[in-house]
Formats: sequence, structure tokens, C-alpha cells
Amino acid sequence: MPRIRTVALIAATALLARRALRGRISGSPLWPMPALDEPVSGRSGRRRSLAATITERTSPADGVVQLRLEGDDLPAWTPGAHIDVVLPSGLIRQYSLCGDPAERGAYTIATRRIEDGRGGSREVHDALNEADEVEIRGPRNRFPLVVADAYVFVAGGIGITPILPMLRQLDAAGADWRLLYCGRSRATMPFLDEVEKLGAAGDRVTVVPEDERGFPEDERGFPELDFTAAPDSTAFYCCGPEGLMTAVAEAVPPTATLHLERFAPRAAPSGGAFEVELHRSGRTITVGPGTTVLAAVRAELRDVSYSCEQGFCGTCQQRVLAGDIDHRDELLTDSERDDSMLICVSRCNGERLVLDL
Amino acid sequence: MSNTQPDVVASEHTPLKPRDVSFSWDRTPLHWVPGDPFTTHTINVLHLLLPAGERWFVHVYKQVLPLITDERLREDVMGFIGQEAMHSQAHDDVLPHLKALGLDPTPYTAQVDWFFEKLLGDRTLPPGRARKWWLLERVAIIAAIEHYTAFLGDWVLNADALDRRGADPTMLDLLRWHGAEEVEHRSVAFDLFLHVDGSYRRRVRTWATAFTALVFLWQRGTRFFMENDPTLDGGKASFTALRHRGRIGMLPSTGAMVRSIPRYLSPAYHPSQEASTAQAVAYLASSPAAKGSH
Repeated sequence: MPRIRTVALIAATALLARRALRGRISGSPLWPMPALDEPVSGRSGRRRSLAATITERTSPADGVVQLRLEGDDLPAWTPGAHIDVVLPSGLIRQYSLCGDPAERGAYTIATRRIEDGRGGSREVHDALNEADEVEIRGPRNRFPLVVADAYVFVAGGIGITPILPMLRQLDAAGADWRLLYCGRSRATMPFLDEVEKLGAAGDRVTVVPEDERGFPEDERGFPELDFTAAPDSTAFYCCGPEGLMTAVAEAVPPTATLHLERFAPRAAPSGGAFEVELHRSGRTITVGPGTTVLAAVRAELRDVSYSCEQGFCGTCQQRVLAGDIDHRDELLTDSERDDSMLICVSRCNGERLVLDL
Repeated sequence: MSNTQPDVVASEHTPLKPRDVSFSWDRTPLHWVPGDPFTTHTINVLHLLLPAGERWFVHVYKQVLPLITDERLREDVMGFIGQEAMHSQAHDDVLPHLKALGLDPTPYTAQVDWFFEKLLGDRTLPPGRARKWWLLERVAIIAAIEHYTAFLGDWVLNADALDRRGADPTMLDLLRWHGAEEVEHRSVAFDLFLHVDGSYRRRVRTWATAFTALVFLWQRGTRFFMENDPTLDGGKASFTALRHRGRIGMLPSTGAMVRSIPRYLSPAYHPSQEASTAQAVAYLASSPAAKGSH
């Protein structure tokens, strides 16, 4: 009976195959799919959220609140870094870390209350107290301390926060640095005592409270600190109000490198006009001060992808072939920032960007 | 182009925008459904599949944009890809936490990465018909997968048993925020499929592919977690356990899963007939993670 023989043969083969498969699978449960050589999932490092508890709330100056945040497993950071703080209302704000990078397990931030601001600082002052839990993200450093022969810092008021850890590090290393620290009055300038103590030895610190000595800059520049006397390889750092940063940018010798840290809102389409060359399409467009790269590109290329238009979803990320990018998102990692940008919020520091579009 | 007559419930449409959410996992335990590793790990498979899978959705959809000639659909697709990008990121963030808890998901996720980036990737195809065929095939696969994500989203929004069991609130919020957005945008993938192709044969064929792949990857993922869970000795996943959790509402019931199959294959199917946009939007308005985002 050939039919019975065929059925028995097929059944026996199936049983054997099943046994062989079972044995293979129990030997290595993930057989037989191959894996990607360099896995992508689980290692983006983007936007990792951390829980922290406020363990100390102090006031280092009039109108300024300083918070100490403690958490398990807080990542290491370097001077100039900031974190995102997710406020109870859901607002997300960036604050520079002003504590000691060597201390693991705690971050320190300080913020000035701004009555007519966007509400973040008011919420920190009114709603965050000791023992409260907050969610934070980061840290990320867009204002890193570079290696230079000499350093000149200009801080305006609360703008001292990212600079303070830099001064501590440079002072410990015996580097050549100077600081111009301006503010409304001595009482409103945080960390003044520590800063003056750090600079006492080499007469490195010049303090210019507006109520005693007027504005730090005049039409000729900064009389208190001669920028042009600095050696060629000096690194300039400035953090403070927009007006102060503009004045510093004008006073800095053209050959020097200037590092600026803004407290700017992350999605505001502000800043000067610039040109964007769309390399593959062979077109050049102008991005005006009140618009975004995305809007300008969309007028030319209908099928460019985007979604949130606020710099968090990442779908508008584009490769940048040339140009100095002004990153205004909070999503991309530092290595992604080298050659790509989120065109919905980020802009250009110079006059021209070249996109691979 | 379509040879079916979908029965659209127009009132279920809502404008789509991604929400800037974030979750902090520091305090979520390994067995976030207390005392029930099987349910925990069956749901945990989402964290294995979604980071790579939803990245792939975005990748495919970016290529299909030039084929869209309807402005409202284009807006829906833009909202969709942003939401999917956020889902991918949010689930991706869970993976380092699982690793820290002693359950390293990398051997599995590296395979899922291969599955979506290589097997279902762009492939070296000549421009023209072959490339377009592969693009349309993937668009149809996504539509079939989205039928199941909407099914799961609707299930998790109503899974009161998880609350009663004391499941971790952060994990529940992730699942429900994600589930609610899946319900909210459940029609986009299907509408896009109808718009660019809509062939019934392709719908059935890609449904079979997607369904087989989902069942294969899911049971494999659950077994992987159960066997590698450092707190379990000889942990096993079984179909009996799945049926049992389905009966008590900790997982979707087997019957509901089976009944969802003919619905997708019905020529009159349209995702707007399933689940409730109003419930999804209501959850999103109260979700701790989505609250305050835009």
C-alpha cells in the first residue's frame, strides 16, 4: 500500500524535523534570526528622563532660588552643561548646572524669578519646594569649556550659573582667566562671594553692579576689561541677557572664539536672516528672521517631512553639508549635532547653510 | 483604485499632533504587574518591537509622501509620523532600564533591528516598478499592523484589571498614552493604503504577512523574557497562560483577538468603525505624561 507508506514517511519526517527544531531552539532560544551588527534600539541616549528629589532650597541672592536635586544614578556632567526640568504644569525649562561636577548623585541649579517671563521661573519659585519630586532630562552641554591659553568670561546676573563650575575648574588647574561679572546690584548677584574669593589671588574678577558703577559697556566697548589686550588664543565666554551678549560679540576681537549661552525660548523663530542652499535640488532659499528653515524649505519642497514643529519629535532631521548650525532643539545627541539639524527650530549662526535636500 | 467600499465613520476623525511626553523609569520594578511575570513580559514585548518597528514606519512614510495628492491626508500622515517617532523614543527609553534590572533585551532587539532595517528595509531595487511595488507592500503591511495597534490601544484604555492588580502607574501611563494615540490615528495608515493602492488582494496578502510576523515575534519575545528573567527559575511562556490572562482581563482575550481578524478582512472595513476617538482624547487630556504638552 504505497499511500500508507507515503503518509508514514511524511509523518516520521515531520516528527524528526520537529525534534531537531525543538533541540535547536532550546539550545539557543533566538535561533534562527540574524541580528543587526550594530544594534540601534535601546542605546539612543536621547531624552532619558530621571527622577530627582529636591533636598535643599536656598536663596543665594535677592530674587534667586537655588535647588539641590538628588537622584539615583545621575549621569556625569562637565562645566557649562544644563538639564531640562519638567515642571509640575508640564512646562519644560533648561537650567545650567552650577554645582560640583565631581559630586555624583546631586545636581544644583539656580534660577531668577522673571515676573513677565514665560512662566517657568515663576513656577520654580512658587511651586517647587524641599522634598518635592521633579523629573529631569539630560544633562547636555552646548557651552563646553574648550582648551585655550587664556579665558575671558562675561556673566550677566543669573548668567553666572554655567560659568561658575568653569571658574572652579580653571582655578584648580591654575589657568589664566578673567571674569567681568555684571548685575543690577550686589544683592541680586548670586555666588558673588565665591566668585570674588576665587579671583582674589590674581585680581581676576571685576564686579560691575549697575547701581554702583552703571552699565558695563559704553559706545566704545567694555572700559572695565580690555578685550583686545587678551592673547590671540583666548577663549571668550558670555552668558547673560541678549543685550549684553550682543555688546560682547561686538567687542570681542574678530580673530577670537566667542562662546555664547542663551536663555532663549527654544522654538521662537528669532535671529537674523540667512540663506539655505538645497544641495540636491540646486536651489537657494532665504530664511527670514520671522520664519523657520522648515517653512522656507516647504515652500520649495512639498514632500519634506516634519511633524511637531517644536524640536522634539525628530522627524524633520536633515543632513547639513556645510554651515554653522545654531541648534535649538533638545533632542539630538552631540554626535548627531555635528552634521545634522532639526529644521523646524534650529537656525544658522552665520549667513549660509547647505542642506542635503 | 480601491476595489472595496469602506464604511467610514467621519466623526471619528481628529487632527493629529505629536505630544512631547517623557517618562522616568527609575522607580518601576521588573515585574511591574505585581506577582505576574507572564503578563508583565507579554506586554514588555512591546518595548522590544516598537522602537525599531515605529522607526521603520517613519522611514517608510517619508518615502511615500510624494505619492500623496490629498492635502488632509498629508496632514494626517505628518501628524502620524511625529506620534510614531515619539512612541519609538518612549519605548526605547525603557530598554536601558530593563538592562539595569538584570534583563538585557539587546540579543532580541538586535534581531528586531535586523528584521525592520534589513529584511523590511529599502533593499537594492531598481527605481521604477520594483521599488514602488516594495513601497506599496510595506505601506499595506503598516496598515495591517496598525489594525492591531489600534486593537491593543483600545484594549489597554479599557483594561481595568491592570489597575485593580496594582500595575505600575508610569508603565500604565506609557501604555495608555501610546494606546490612546494609536486609537486617535488608527485610520491614517489604512486611509494612506487606500489612497496609494487599496487593492483587496494586497490587503489580504500583507495581513497574512503581518499577522504571521506579529505572532512569531510576540511569542518569541515573551519566551525570551520569561527564560532570561533573573528572578524566575525556569520561567516558561505558554498558550494556557495567555488564555487564562485573557479570561481575567489582564491581556486581550483570545476570542477578541480571533474576532478582530475577519473584521480587517471585510471589504467594508474601515478603522473608524473600531474603538472610540472620544475616549482616547479624554485619556490624553488627563495622562500625566501628555499633560501640559501640546
